[in-house]
Amino acid sequence: MLTCLRGGRVVDPATGTDATGDVYFEDGRIVAKPDGREPDKTIDVAGHIVMAGAIDVHSHIAGGNVNTARLLLPEKHRAIRARLAGTPLSTAKWSTYETGRLYAQMGFTTVVEPAMAPHQSLQTHLELADTPLLDTGALTVLGNDDFLLELLRKGESQQAINDYVARTVEATKSLGLKCINPGGVAGFKENMRVFGLDDVVPFYGISSRQIFQALQKATQAVGIHHPLHLHMNNLGIAGNIETALATIDAARGLPLHLAHVQFYAYGKEGKNGFSSAGAQFAEKVNANKNVSIDVGQVMFSETVTVSADVLKQYNSLAGANPKKGAIFDGDANGGGIVPYAYQISNYYNAVQWAAGLELFLLVKDPSQVFFTTDHPNGGPFTTYPELFALLMSADLRAQVLARLPADVLEQTTLPSIKREYTLYEIAQMSRSGAARLFGFTDRGTLAPGSVADIAVYKDQRDRAGMFRKAALVFKDGVQIVKDGEVSRYVRGKTLHTSPAYDRAIEKRLDSYYDELYGLPRSIFDLPAAALPNHDAFAEVSCRS
Amino acid sequence: MSNATLDGAPISIEAAYDHAAGILSAARFPVVAGLATDVAGARAAILLAERLRGAFDHLASDELLADLEAMRSFGMFVTTANEARLRADVAFFVGPGLTDRWPALFERLALDRPPHYSPGAARKAIWLGPKRGEAKVEGLELDATAATEDSLPGLLAAVRARVGGRPIALESATAKRVDALAETLKSAKFGVAVWSAAAVDGLVVEALQGLLTDLNLTTRFSGLPLGARAGAVGVGQVAGWMTGFPPRTGFGRGFPEHDSWRFDANRLVESGEADAALWISAYDGEPPRWERDDVPLVTLAPGGSGPKRGLFIEVGRPGVSHDALEFAQEVSSFVLRKASAPASAPSVAEAIKAIDAKLPESF
Repeated sequence: MLTCLRGGRVVDPATGTDATGDVYFEDGRIVAKPDGREPDKTIDVAGHIVMAGAIDVHSHIAGGNVNTARLLLPEKHRAIRARLAGTPLSTAKWSTYETGRLYAQMGFTTVVEPAMAPHQSLQTHLELADTPLLDTGALTVLGNDDFLLELLRKGESQQAINDYVARTVEATKSLGLKCINPGGVAGFKENMRVFGLDDVVPFYGISSRQIFQALQKATQAVGIHHPLHLHMNNLGIAGNIETALATIDAARGLPLHLAHVQFYAYGKEGKNGFSSAGAQFAEKVNANKNVSIDVGQVMFSETVTVSADVLKQYNSLAGANPKKGAIFDGDANGGGIVPYAYQISNYYNAVQWAAGLELFLLVKDPSQVFFTTDHPNGGPFTTYPELFALLMSADLRAQVLARLPADVLEQTTLPSIKREYTLYEIAQMSRSGAARLFGFTDRGTLAPGSVADIAVYKDQRDRAGMFRKAALVFKDGVQIVKDGEVSRYVRGKTLHTSPAYDRAIEKRLDSYYDELYGLPRSIFDLPAAALPNHDAFAEVSCRS
Repeated sequence: MSNATLDGAPISIEAAYDHAAGILSAARFPVVAGLATDVAGARAAILLAERLRGAFDHLASDELLADLEAMRSFGMFVTTANEARLRADVAFFVGPGLTDRWPALFERLALDRPPHYSPGAARKAIWLGPKRGEAKVEGLELDATAATEDSLPGLLAAVRARVGGRPIALESATAKRVDALAETLKSAKFGVAVWSAAAVDGLVVEALQGLLTDLNLTTRFSGLPLGARAGAVGVGQVAGWMTGFPPRTGFGRGFPEHDSWRFDANRLVESGEADAALWISAYDGEPPRWERDDVPLVTLAPGGSGPKRGLFIEVGRPGVSHDALEFAQEVSSFVLRKASAPASAPSVAEAIKAIDAKLPESF
């Protein structure tokens, strides 16, 4: 069936479009206006914004650590309303089903879960398979795993590391590599309580710098499209801007994605010894085109921090609100779950909020910076509409600034920044740029041939309201949202990539697992064929 | 082919699915209980409970929730058996019944070998409150301290006090013993405490976690819980991502509500609040604990375990008659268990799908 969305304002940066026009789709794909054929269905979207479905590059929506957070905090997510017909469990708060529904209502159609532990990949995939309405993907976490650290300790070739990386990404069906406090989590098991870029992991005798550089090189060498996705050392600590700047220098011009960098944009100025270094960080990003960032914006809300940076999470336990937490020393990274409440009246939280916005507004190239709240760490993903509104209005920011503790204003450049994001720039960040970051060629745009993932928003002055409830959303050409409500479930695909490698690594891993764990390697492998969505995997090509 | 019986008399499988759908759809508040099944079975069962606006519970929820309750009211340090095997220089066993719960425990931990990460170091294994004879493990020097169900909580509290440098008032031989235990724990570089909530009170779990919290102020110490029986840990995880809550969750108001007293299947049936039950027990056919026999009952269990009363539908054993995804104690994550003796009996998921297909459209 040929459908036409008629007369909307089409904002599609991938094709350089920002104009009133029509969008056609048929059989789940966007098509060019066909000659000599009338559409079977025409929907009048005059007065609306038409964009491709949005892509979230970093949101913790699935896996053992997220599930531990659910089970840790039953009092924080009591459900309050019954679901609509055809959408089982869609109002079960914080369930995978609700996650799919809430994203879809905002016009999001693709979400990347950024922290899948290789030994727990089956649970991550099971949860993603139970997340309706979205295409999903995951990043595999390496960098505190014994096999890699052993390769580095023994000074083995980069080729061996490349094969291991490619094999792990392929076998865990992910989109690439994440590295979380490289070496620091292994160090925590040896009772280290701080771990910097040049600290050395006990037993292995290698530094964090060596680990991330090796993984960065491997990611490039095997052709994984997404650059190494790095969660740096020293997250959340005053003065950690030094770590961030040194890490960017250590990237030596190779592609690198730095995750939730707001948590690293801290100086030591002011009487509290804590200030925003957002401007300094942004300047460094502007000068290093090889680097992309997502922000990890803090939004004032009750939330929970979920991270495989176990060292950092242990150190956060003292500030838990409510006062409880879970610390999991896993086979490699593990995880730490610590509830937290960001408060507008709290000096530190207010500096964090300002630092994040500085990063958004001072990084010049919209293809280098991505919105995230590092859901749920800086705030839940449901705060994105408020975040977009803040980026689009200096007035709105001024209103919030006026409510912050007064001494915060001395420690941030935010009050002086008048820039306002345009809809086009919002679409660059949330659609075209995000697709390019992962090498998606079939989404993030309304170009003919792309999947018909389309979000239609009523153009209104209340930008937060506009982005919170899309007027219409289509997933693979099927209408799933009307007036901000999900009307039916469709099942999404799991996106992954399959870099090539020398299969000899398999044999080596076989004997490694036998010797180290006394278990067959197969027990750790993702049995993709046994997944309920085994027929819904879609391959993202590697760089040639 | 599957077998089905009604009050002990054979009926056809199609008639059985029809009858099951009739029982469940006629109920005002049915409970999906037992839940001893794999991932696919749990997914199907929870979706069915939601569709019926009933409740779901697991036969080992008491044990599962003992650990979860400690976590959600206090906090939790946990690790994997793999990390314990490679890293633990002190293994601290707490309470009885550990090898009953996990016969492969000592083989997996391989404590008779030095830790991988400290090849020169000797490992210490201590056990507070083993069952009689349980602390004799071939090739392993285990330092056991006797404790009864009644004395264990007090001893654990005393150890925690001594770890924190606080005084205790116990008779001198016991105090000496407690001091020695506290010293051993504090001297660990990476210690691991092992317990089974099947054998100790929930407050012991919380006290133990309090001890681990204190130990982590100066060194590293984590915990290895031996998970509840009949797939409870995996089902708890599935319930977590599907509903936000573990078992003992009801959908009476059209959305999940979790209450470990209110949605206890045993209580629901005995009190008459539940007016029908679907009992799922695919591993060994363990029957329900309730005594009441006037609540309509549908049982999904392996052949040979068929009850005399109610409707029985034979299902296969997960990982035996069909491939199954399950949570595995040995790796602390989900794994695929290939069928060891493939058979044609339907899985729990398949049986529920067949029942679900027969429900009236109004559900």
